[in-house]
Amino acid sequence: MSDRPLHESGDPSAEVLPGSTGSCGLLTAEPVDPLVGSRIDAYLARHPGGAERLIPLLHLAQATLGYLPVAVQEQIAARLGLPLVQIHGVVSFYHFFNTTPRAKYQLKVCMGTACFVRRAQALTEAIRQVLGVDPGSVTKDGLFGLDEVRCLGSCGMAPVLTLDDDTHGNLTPGDARKLVFGLQARARRQRVPEPSERVDE
Amino acid sequence: MSRTLPDLATIRDQLQLRIEARRRSRRGALHARREVLVCTGGGCLSSQSSSVADALEREIASRQLGARARVIRVGCMGLCAAGPLVLVSPDGVLYHRVDAAGVKRIVAEHVGGNRPVADLELTHETADGEVLRSRDVPFFARQQKIALRNCGVVDPLEIDEYIALDGYVALEKVLFHLTPEQVLDTVHESGLRGRGGAGFPAGLKWQWVRETAGDEKYVICNADEGDPGAFTDRSILEGDPHSVIEAMIIAGRVVGAQHGLIYVRAEYPLAIERLELALQHARDYGLLGKRILDSDFSFELEIAMGAGAFICGEETALLHSIEGRRGTARPRPPFPAERGLWGRPTLINNVETWANIPPIIDRGAEWFAEIGTEGGKGTKVFTLAGNVRNSGLVEVPMGFPLREIVEEIGGGMRSNMEFKAAHCGGPSGGCIPEAAADVPIGFESLRELGAMMGSGGLAVIDEGSCMVELTRYFLDFLVDESCGKCPPCRIGISVMLKILERIIRGEAEISDLESLESIGKHVQRTSLCGLGRTAPNAVLSTLHHFREEYEAHLFEGRCPAAQCRDLKAQGSLAQRRAGRIARGAGPESCAYCGSCLIVCPNDPIHAEDER
Repeated sequence: MSDRPLHESGDPSAEVLPGSTGSCGLLTAEPVDPLVGSRIDAYLARHPGGAERLIPLLHLAQATLGYLPVAVQEQIAARLGLPLVQIHGVVSFYHFFNTTPRAKYQLKVCMGTACFVRRAQALTEAIRQVLGVDPGSVTKDGLFGLDEVRCLGSCGMAPVLTLDDDTHGNLTPGDARKLVFGLQARARRQRVPEPSERVDE
Repeated sequence: MSRTLPDLATIRDQLQLRIEARRRSRRGALHARREVLVCTGGGCLSSQSSSVADALEREIASRQLGARARVIRVGCMGLCAAGPLVLVSPDGVLYHRVDAAGVKRIVAEHVGGNRPVADLELTHETADGEVLRSRDVPFFARQQKIALRNCGVVDPLEIDEYIALDGYVALEKVLFHLTPEQVLDTVHESGLRGRGGAGFPAGLKWQWVRETAGDEKYVICNADEGDPGAFTDRSILEGDPHSVIEAMIIAGRVVGAQHGLIYVRAEYPLAIERLELALQHARDYGLLGKRILDSDFSFELEIAMGAGAFICGEETALLHSIEGRRGTARPRPPFPAERGLWGRPTLINNVETWANIPPIIDRGAEWFAEIGTEGGKGTKVFTLAGNVRNSGLVEVPMGFPLREIVEEIGGGMRSNMEFKAAHCGGPSGGCIPEAAADVPIGFESLRELGAMMGSGGLAVIDEGSCMVELTRYFLDFLVDESCGKCPPCRIGISVMLKILERIIRGEAEISDLESLESIGKHVQRTSLCGLGRTAPNAVLSTLHHFREEYEAHLFEGRCPAAQCRDLKAQGSLAQRRAGRIARGAGPESCAYCGSCLIVCPNDPIHAEDER
């Protein structure tokens, strides 16, 4: 159950966390992926410390799970001896952290100045039309996610987008469409049953 | 294994000539033993340069030319628009847009056959018909590199290559031949000013931290390059990480700190990876850690990772972020020099500032102070992007005219449209119209135009881009990125954004222009930190230089760049109101808004009284 979205409204601020008043005990019954727990312990063994380890730990947990469910936030709160409200405050402040599951293929369209001047909006629009999802959300099958991000630092190749870790530069809306069609074909070929309860935000 | 001073000298003796040749080599004689340098900067990587490097290696191996050529992956060479770039050294031949077929030809014809591939070589034809080749083209020839001196020259994963180009010589001087006061004097006399945006004199900052009492102090590198449209810091960290590491050790010695942190934004995973490796190499060589190079000085450096927040480039927000908190700004004073990380005196400099330090110590303050202008010494790196042809990374002396950056180094517009403006300094910066483009680049000269140097993002804009829409983009960015702590920034920016959206949709009142101006000035004066105080720059500078574009939207319902579609479809509010009255809606519907006076093409008769 742990990969079900924690809030159906799509608005993280609407989420009420149990025990946000300061207790740092384990409050939800949701099981935590044991791999995350062991990685957190291993990291803290190498880098002991308090609050300054929070952001690295959140990166670590997100790299492992793809997102940061409340159960993981509670676990980190307990390990660092910090109130859960501080963890959630940090998670909701920084754009990099997300509390809902990510898609299998994550497309990020750069909206930095150079890309903006070179019409990156048209890339987003083209992908939006093909996938039928707005930026910031995931397709119903959980396969494709579309995001608009701030500057990927490839301004010379604007407009750019990244597909997972690969950067594609100097794109036209047609190129973007082609890229997505290619991915869809690839996804169809290696069709694996996806958890059907994955819904977009 | 730890190295001694003689070990470092031996490395320099062995490698210096070969590596120095990569930097200096110009077109001329061909050589038997070659190095094939492939750019693995952010721009070239996105044009698949890493597969080009792999293919070059395979091709060289399959033709058994391994003894005559070696492939080396270097950092950003600068000309991203023409990537992937491949430089054959010491022949000095620079190939551009190299693809799979190009790889085969370079290996077969140049490496194997001693005939450079003329049609793949980067060339430029001057106005008098002369053809310039490789690095003699204006893009490279007009630059002067200090901060980027090793980018595109050394293999960032090999510490020896950095050492070979007089790397860690400055550190040696600081540890064994100079007193901290002498080093401080050098930084003072060089006239180096912070490259992160504000331009605060580096020497003063160092002195401040040095003179503040404290048993524990910190040195921090601000690599949270949040400006969407700048990648200077990224390129330095990815292409020449050791220059930053060396500079930070030097600063630690001068101010009396033993711990340093490099705060890198999470969007730069490759920079983090290469930096981690560079730190490990420096530790292995005994250049970091206990008793550096057998001196009495110990210093340790760590990486702190950001998590996607523009505000964390502001120094107090950055400190909060390292401490594991929300990245909100706090009032200064106390400045970080007095109360910084964990309440201790902290020295924070930007990546580019750090990269300038080793050459200043090594070559002396006088050498550095001779470059640039009175108010700004040295060089500045700009990210040249937008509608310009040669987009990429350029470094020029302070005082270099903006027009030459755009038209000579940048090669003019990519489209056949006219150069309209350059937006300098990212969301905090402002725009410089074409008419003012002869301005020599400098901290003060840009500020007088309502722009700022900022992080050096230079977005070149042609006639096809709407200034109102561009301004809306920056405000949209800043609304997202405001930390929300102080009301002028949190509320002011979003009110300004709403007005701009109304202008673009054709729903704005004529009085909205005045509101924009007055809100902008309030936000500028009353915000807590640099983000809020500079946020209205884009609005105020475009209102100042491109007021006629705003007025065309408001009064004529026309976007001069033909970008704002809603406006085109329905015209402006003033036009619609005037049209209603003209269609005979009757004087009772007159709201005395003045719209009809403004949109009337004839000279309207002004009524004296209200009726």
